[in-house]
Amino acid sequence: MRANPKTAQKLEAARAAASSAPRPLTFWEQYRRKPQGMVGLGIVLVYVLVAVFAPVIAPYDPMNDLYLADSIAAPAWFANVFSKYRGLPPTIRLSLGHEDWEVEKSEAISIVPLEHGDKDGIEIFMPATAAPDAETDTSEEKPTSLWTSTFKWSPFGADDDSKESTDSSSPEKTGRSSLDKAVFQHVLNYEYKKPQTFSTKLNYTIDAPADAETSIMLELITPSGKTFDLWDTTARGSVEDGSGLVDARDLDLKLRLGISFFDEPTDVVFAEKGDYTIRMTFDAKSPNGPVTIKLRPVEFGVLGMVHGLLGVDHMGSDIWSQLVYGTRIALAIGLSAAFIAVVIGTSVGMIAGYLGGMVDEVLMRVVDVLLAVPTMPILIVLGALFGKSVFNVVILLALFSWMGIARIVRSQTLSLKERTFVEAAKASGASSGYIMLSHILPNTMPLIFANLVLRIPSAILTEASLSFLGLGDPRVPTWGRILQNSRQFGGFTKLAWWWLLPPGLALTFLSLAFVFIGNSVNEILNPRYRERS
Amino acid sequence: MGFRSYLFKRLFYAVLVLFVILTFNFILFRVMPGDPEKMIIDPNFTVEAKQELRRQYGLDDPIMTQYFNYMKSLLRFDMGLSFNTRRPVWSELKERLPNTLILFVVTFISTATVGISLGVYAAANRGRYAERFVVGAGLFAHAVPGFFIQLLLLLVLGYYWPILPIHGTMSAPPPDGGFALFLDRVWHLILPAGSNVVIGFGSWALYTRNTMLEALSQDYIVTARAKGLQRGEILYHHALRSVLPPIVTLIFMSLPGAVSGAVITESIFSWHGVGRYLLDATLQMDYPAAQGAFYLIALSVIISNLLADIAYGLVDPRIRVGAGGQR
Repeated sequence: MRANPKTAQKLEAARAAASSAPRPLTFWEQYRRKPQGMVGLGIVLVYVLVAVFAPVIAPYDPMNDLYLADSIAAPAWFANVFSKYRGLPPTIRLSLGHEDWEVEKSEAISIVPLEHGDKDGIEIFMPATAAPDAETDTSEEKPTSLWTSTFKWSPFGADDDSKESTDSSSPEKTGRSSLDKAVFQHVLNYEYKKPQTFSTKLNYTIDAPADAETSIMLELITPSGKTFDLWDTTARGSVEDGSGLVDARDLDLKLRLGISFFDEPTDVVFAEKGDYTIRMTFDAKSPNGPVTIKLRPVEFGVLGMVHGLLGVDHMGSDIWSQLVYGTRIALAIGLSAAFIAVVIGTSVGMIAGYLGGMVDEVLMRVVDVLLAVPTMPILIVLGALFGKSVFNVVILLALFSWMGIARIVRSQTLSLKERTFVEAAKASGASSGYIMLSHILPNTMPLIFANLVLRIPSAILTEASLSFLGLGDPRVPTWGRILQNSRQFGGFTKLAWWWLLPPGLALTFLSLAFVFIGNSVNEILNPRYRERS
Repeated sequence: MGFRSYLFKRLFYAVLVLFVILTFNFILFRVMPGDPEKMIIDPNFTVEAKQELRRQYGLDDPIMTQYFNYMKSLLRFDMGLSFNTRRPVWSELKERLPNTLILFVVTFISTATVGISLGVYAAANRGRYAERFVVGAGLFAHAVPGFFIQLLLLLVLGYYWPILPIHGTMSAPPPDGGFALFLDRVWHLILPAGSNVVIGFGSWALYTRNTMLEALSQDYIVTARAKGLQRGEILYHHALRSVLPPIVTLIFMSLPGAVSGAVITESIFSWHGVGRYLLDATLQMDYPAAQGAFYLIALSVIISNLLADIAYGLVDPRIRVGAGGQR
């Protein structure tokens, strides 16, 4: 039978009227009208976005990018806001390659770029000198510090100068004369207050006849013209992979500058503002053949005292990145722990409530006992014993938080199983499992959902306290860990509130958001609750 | 079910829970990584010395004998020697227990006082800004992680304006004289106890306000108002009296949580107490010490649970009169 188009239209209209007629609002429609709930949802959404786009938002690796700035450096924007931080240096890292140097040399010496990574190094070629035996010009040669070769401390694990023969008191070889030097200069404009520390690292290879003597010297010239000899070496013959390391915290440098152990080299060297000149001088005395020096880009760094959005922690690791990645961990832990707890609680509650009898009795007694166990102490003991890993923490959190849900679901099941539709299902021969899964479970779903939402923040907070107590996973950047670090490694004595506040506030707003959501969900699901507030 | 049988049932549960925790404790500290004998026994010992030590610690006994011995000794508070200090764990715990109890009692009384008064105040000022403020502050304090509040207060009052001591239970060296010592201890107590009040008052205030409001909407209040009674009289004589029982129950019900929370407070403020002892012992793998501290804390939680149950039974007419009903 073909329907008359008019009747079809009428039907359509009737259908529309029926759907616009008052019908029970869906959960979402009710929820949408709760401003509190929407605010909570908005906040959670922000957290989720931060967690998802963490690699984009966070500029650094939270765990592995260390020494980004000086220990407990303040946020960079402090320099513009607080007078106390005005003029503090940011981290300066120079990698000085071929094109960065201003070179002064004689005609005979030739310099070419040396392929090395992103930045070219330098290859210096010095031809052999004609060997007039008479001239032995020792005044040219700087006496090398004994400390250079014996007491070199290399904090970055740079290989020590085992091949350097800096023994200046050894008998001089005859028949050498000085070539013209090559002098490299780089000007660094430094307009900040003095830093805590600076460092220089250089790597070189010398290819020369066995009797050649090559010297490399690194100096820093302050704006007022004072020259500080930071490092030098004199090598005999060829050197494979030589390296030099200057660090302001190094005793070697303090001795070289003639200051006491307790003084800071930066007080002497970096006290001025203006154009500093980094100068390297290459010199070779080689009667029997040319000398080639291959120099990789020279690294010169000043560890900043301000850095990034939230500064750095005691290891020089970016706090903002830790915070951003911490969002991921927090949400993951909260969600998974709450989910597992809800699954356990729902199953236990449903089985106990539906089956009743001995099963009910035993399960509920287990719940009673577990509820009586002090949670925090047992989590501490178990967390420490079973190893500090995120997985263990999640499991432990879930295992000690499902009992409340079990009780709620059980009482809901008790009332549901008396309802007619369950009776009907039973009468038509449905199995207990089927009834539980397809009749009881769907009807407890809103309750379960509300409990899931309420469990998430408490799981997150408990994990944060465990991490704060030092029981968190050491390989993972959690908010609790940031708080613990700030407590343990000088955040308080340095009054580094920017280290303490962000993770705490992140936790606070997240848990507040869940409280808002929980309140709204409760108002919708429990009408009794609605009347009261 | 009369009150007496209810009481017996609760007592039975308390003993059962204690038994379960003790057993759990026994099993736990025997399956964990690095068993006790390796901690005590030096690899340089001779075979005879090792055997002698094993015999002394009862490690050669059958597992059930070990279990009974363990039960017996724990019930007598014989918790063995700490690996770190080689002193009896119980005497170490005894030193710390008073500190924990002082902090606990002071915290508890002040939190309850502040919370209940604010709750009553909020209920009395229903619909005004005062109520909104109390409710908002209570919700906020409830949502903010407790240890964060404590850290913040420590940073502000201990470091920015160093007016309060940043750690410990008393100055070192402690001042002379009873009263000076007392003042010194109070001075050290302010920050830990005060921060706990900030953390805990919210739930008290909200609960009190809600029960008060519920009581105020009852018929007998309407009657009292119709009789022309003063507002204050209605509030403090009629309403408050009827909400006291549930609040008293709440007092006892929050005991276990407060015991558990002491661990964090004590570790933040370096309080020389049982909770911090547990944490330190656990982190240093000092098993006898951790076991002993855990036992003590669990015992106190069980006892406070029992007290809460008794209080609940006393105020709940269904149980007191004996009408039965599920808990």
